[in-house]
Amino acid sequence: MKVTVDMTMCQDHGQCAIAAPEVFRINDEGHLEYDAEPGDDMLEYVEEAADVCPVQAILIADS
Amino acid sequence: MSATSPAVAPILDVADPAFSITAPEVHAARERSWYATTPYGIAVLRYDEMSRLIKHPKLRQGSVAWPAHNGVTEGPFARWWASWILNKEGAEHHRLRRLMNPAFSPKLIGGLVPRFQALASELIDGFSAPDQCEFVSEFAEPYAARVIAIMLGIPEEEWPIIARESVTIGLAMGVTLREDLPQIEDALARLYAYCDALIADRRKNPGDDFVTALVNASREEDGRLSDTELRDAMVLLIFGGFDTTRNQLGLAMQTFSRHLDQWALLAERPELGRAAVEEVMRVNPTVRWVTREVLEDFEFEGLELTAGTTVHLYSESAGTDPRVFTGGFDITAERKPHFGFGGGAHHCLGHFVARSDMSEALPLLARRMPDIRILAGDSWLPDSGNTGPVRLPIGFTPAS
Ligand code: HEM
Ligand code: HEM
Ligand code: SF4
Repeated sequence: MKVTVDMTMCQDHGQCAIAAPEVFRINDEGHLEYDAEPGDDMLEYVEEAADVCPVQAILIADS
Repeated sequence: MSATSPAVAPILDVADPAFSITAPEVHAARERSWYATTPYGIAVLRYDEMSRLIKHPKLRQGSVAWPAHNGVTEGPFARWWASWILNKEGAEHHRLRRLMNPAFSPKLIGGLVPRFQALASELIDGFSAPDQCEFVSEFAEPYAARVIAIMLGIPEEEWPIIARESVTIGLAMGVTLREDLPQIEDALARLYAYCDALIADRRKNPGDDFVTALVNASREEDGRLSDTELRDAMVLLIFGGFDTTRNQLGLAMQTFSRHLDQWALLAERPELGRAAVEEVMRVNPTVRWVTREVLEDFEFEGLELTAGTTVHLYSESAGTDPRVFTGGFDITAERKPHFGFGGGAHHCLGHFVARSDMSEALPLLARRMPDIRILAGDSWLPDSGNTGPVRLPIGFTPAS
């Protein structure tokens, strides 16, 4: 699976990091970092992260 | 206040009952400095600074201390307050949020849109006069309460229960919290009983609704919501979704009554409903300030912030900051995000619902109530904290 976050939209709310901490995290500066190619076992959680993102900046694609 | 240098920062007397958080005085202060000092702590006035501080890792949500500030440290209310998701941080907060998120997913809410539309039409059809209404009691209040009834899957006629108990629990927002406590705790007990019955019912008769989603919520590492967590969650959804939506709808009417060209445009182009909600919440948000508390000392933009300092982030002041926003109220403009739903880890959990129900309601109102004007007899909550109209008589030209 391929994960893309539109960084022009992302507001660093960190809701994705709460939903799927294995894939998304907020660093010490308060900015989003993420794993762009997580294992497929993460799909359910990544979908949840995409769902909860307040600005809907997360895109998931098959790779 | 140890955290500031009053010699440079403007001072705002927020504790004065006549203080208005949207007054020219506040906007003038914003032009002098990114923050002001207040009797409660500091007030952040500009967009860029608010955007960074609202989700800053060295700040936590700041409402947790409210009951204690008012001398309430034990009993059902204090316990419930502490259990409330807004007042939790870290791992505990994240667990609750993960378990509650699926019930609020945009997919689940999308299915409710036709019911929001039908509800708005029914309420407008029911106005007692053809050319005027008391907007709060004839639209905003029943709309906000019945949206919650729809979400909870309870009979819509039972909405006055939601409204009544919420108003009583809302007394907790006031400075007379201590005197009102017995009443508040009674209302809380009645709501608990109501929610317990609802939870028991959905356990027996699961559906594809919100309460079933909460009851069934589970994740390997998080377990499930306990019975207590479930009912606490439901009580706070009732409260958090009702007042806020009612007030925000009233404020939308106030803003549009000052921009009738935009109101006419919205009537013509209902697809602008979403943008209308965003633009209203930028210039006239019901949640006027969001509270944070400094966790550890750090320096920010030349200011030494010390642990324990209260930071109020002023959403209207940031939303109208001329460094970022120009051109006035315009529902067709591309805008940066506002802070009307807060931000960071505590970003409003119910925003998909609120955005969806308000963006259905506003275009319908615009079409059915052309040329709105506010009539004599309106009354308002104080312009600080959370605000909105208490009574809002509105006149309009009957739509043909
Ligand atoms: C126009 C309507 C609404 C407005 C203006 C609003 C505003 C807000 C704001 C500003 C916050 C964040 C406070 C902070 O950052 O400190 C918040 C949090 C929250 N809201 Fe909303 N809200 C609205 C509707 C709703 C609805 C309909 C629900 C539920 C059905 C809801 C549930 C919540 C919850 C549970 C939180 C706490 C989230 C957390 O602490 O993680 N809100 N709301
Ligand atoms: C989901 C539920 C609720 C939402 C979304 C909500 C919304 C808000 C928001 C956004 C604020 C400003 C937040 C801030 O200052 O950071 C606030 C403040 C406050 N709320 Fe609510 N409210 C909710 C439920 C309640 C309930 C149930 C009570 C009382 C029983 C309550 C009492 C207060 C008080 C006392 C404050 C002022 C606290 C302070 O400024 O330090 N709220 N509310
Ligand atoms: S939830 Fe959305 S806005 Fe927030 S950090 Fe993740 S991608 Fe960015």
